[in-house]
Amino acid sequence: MSFPRKTLFLAAAAMLAGGALAADIKIGVAEALSGGAAQYGVAIRNGFQVAADEINAKGGVNGNKIQLVIEDEQGKKEEAINVFKKLIFQDKVLMIFGPTLSNSMFAAGPVANGAKIVAFGTSNTAGGITDIGPYIFRNSVMESDVLPVTVATAVKHYGIKKVAVIYGNDDAFTKSGYDVFKKVLADQKLAVTSTETYVKGDVDFKAQLTKIKAGEPDAVVCSCLAEEAANIMLQSRSLGIKAPFIGGNGFNSPKLFEISRLAGEGTFVGSPWSNVNPAPVNVNFVNAYKQKYNADPNQFAAQAYDALHIAAMALKSVKLSGNLEAARQALRDALPKVSISGATGPFKFRPAVTKDGKPGGFDADQTPFIYIVQGGKFTLYTGKK
Amino acid sequence: MEWLDNYWSTYNTLVYSIGVHALLALSIWLTLACGLLSLANAAFMGIGAYVSALLSLQAGWPFAAVLAAAGVVPALVALIIGIPTLRLSGVYLAMATLAFGEVVRIIVLNLEITGGPEGLNGIPQSTQGWHILAILAFTIYGLARLRRSRVGRAFESIREDDVAASLMGIDVARHKLFAFVLGATIAGVAGGLNAHFTFFISPREYGFENAVDILTMAILGGIGSLVGPMRGATILTLLPELLRFLHEFRGVFNGIVLVLVVLFLPKGLWEPRRIKALFARGGRA
Repeated sequence: MSFPRKTLFLAAAAMLAGGALAADIKIGVAEALSGGAAQYGVAIRNGFQVAADEINAKGGVNGNKIQLVIEDEQGKKEEAINVFKKLIFQDKVLMIFGPTLSNSMFAAGPVANGAKIVAFGTSNTAGGITDIGPYIFRNSVMESDVLPVTVATAVKHYGIKKVAVIYGNDDAFTKSGYDVFKKVLADQKLAVTSTETYVKGDVDFKAQLTKIKAGEPDAVVCSCLAEEAANIMLQSRSLGIKAPFIGGNGFNSPKLFEISRLAGEGTFVGSPWSNVNPAPVNVNFVNAYKQKYNADPNQFAAQAYDALHIAAMALKSVKLSGNLEAARQALRDALPKVSISGATGPFKFRPAVTKDGKPGGFDADQTPFIYIVQGGKFTLYTGKK
Repeated sequence: MEWLDNYWSTYNTLVYSIGVHALLALSIWLTLACGLLSLANAAFMGIGAYVSALLSLQAGWPFAAVLAAAGVVPALVALIIGIPTLRLSGVYLAMATLAFGEVVRIIVLNLEITGGPEGLNGIPQSTQGWHILAILAFTIYGLARLRRSRVGRAFESIREDDVAASLMGIDVARHKLFAFVLGATIAGVAGGLNAHFTFFISPREYGFENAVDILTMAILGGIGSLVGPMRGATILTLLPELLRFLHEFRGVFNGIVLVLVVLFLPKGLWEPRRIKALFARGGRA
């Protein structure tokens, strides 16, 4: 009777060992799924899910399935810290994606950096994020990489010499966008006729636009979110301003043209992602997303999709032993070497240049797509016709 | 032990938050105890947070001095704005203090040194658990002593009827100012502590919404005792974390719990008379 029992024991041991070999790779996703930033956070989560399904359907990474541990950080800094700690110490994930907003990353990033685990932002565009430390990564392209290209392209297209600027001065996103625009305009030696501001929630911009009109600018540079931008466009046309607009990342929303209709014709916008990019990997992503969520993907979903593929590529070279800390460190060391051609185009990392010279994290090194608005739609700009 | 370590690493920020929120709830309890409905405490917290963060980042002061400044500066501001505004009462005072809160928020939003809407980041993590515990214990002890003192009795009489109090020889204006300034100090210190364990502050955190949150904590817990505000702070801080398993619906549940409490326990969770009555009824049945 002892023989079968022994076999049973061996079989059980083999099963256990097998289970350990083909373990799930736990990856944390901390995004704002409720609250004001939910429109971004949900798209990001969906992008991750599409990528995870795809990777797991192909057998995972070296035979290990990817398991996403998704938590809501509500777009608040305390919540982001709590979620990061839960993922690091309770769920024992290998790395964390998120959080959604740059502000939350400033609060939660140091927690991950201190615990020596990668925090990978897919939507944090503010400057200084990767100054937090060597465990902070992002594949979101900073405004300071996109706007110079956008402005230069528009200047070449229209022969612009002087511009007017309008921006929201009480919002971290539009204010930091303005700071970048200011520098770009100075670098490219464009005269600024007037600089106007508004605050979030304003609906009437006629006072500012009247001043802008008096300066007769060749173009209006606008660091605004989609809702305000749409109103600014409509009201400037009704005041008789014919100059085209140049926008930042905030313009990258279909909502802009639902409201402004044809008032935004000729607007130049830069974006890290293009829905019409014909590369097979992008077509694949757009179709898979549509099939799963019955909706069109956006830039945030595309960046999340690419981010998980970047991580999967790095994981291929990581030996997953039982030692969690070693695995986290190995993943951190493997990530900077990754370069892929994803839905947002060719991608690689670039070591961040920090303010105080200490070793920082890694920023995205990517060329943006430039759009011109034609017939109320984003059209990829392909040169002057 | 490892399990305990992990548990502490995960939830220490949450525990710190409870302590800081308890301080804030106590700060508004103090003004409420004197019959003042002031909504300026979020702004005082913000002043404390920004002053302390700037002193840490720019001047490199030691943490103890930083915390002291986080208490002193809001107190001075409270002294200046308290003299004219505390003549108002009821909703008028609430409106004036609310406007003050907005003024502070907009000033912080437009100054260069405060980082504008992008806030301040990279604040050193100097706050330790025992700092919060010690300050909270000291505050509770101080307030408990205050309640039983001459000043505490004066607060109570002003809350019940300030005309009657002044006829009995109590200097109403001075006592109100004292409550207001002391509340600002506690809120400022709470702001300083908070800034030094969350790495980052921005003007968004000290607006109207937060003023109401602080008030809700005190009211929910019950303002009849010192324990009440702390209980309110604990519950309101823990509830979103405990409801995490509800995912997208937890905001809704959080709201429902608050509505139920306000409807059925209007004097806060701990209302001895009602609970006694409940037991008495149960005993008869």
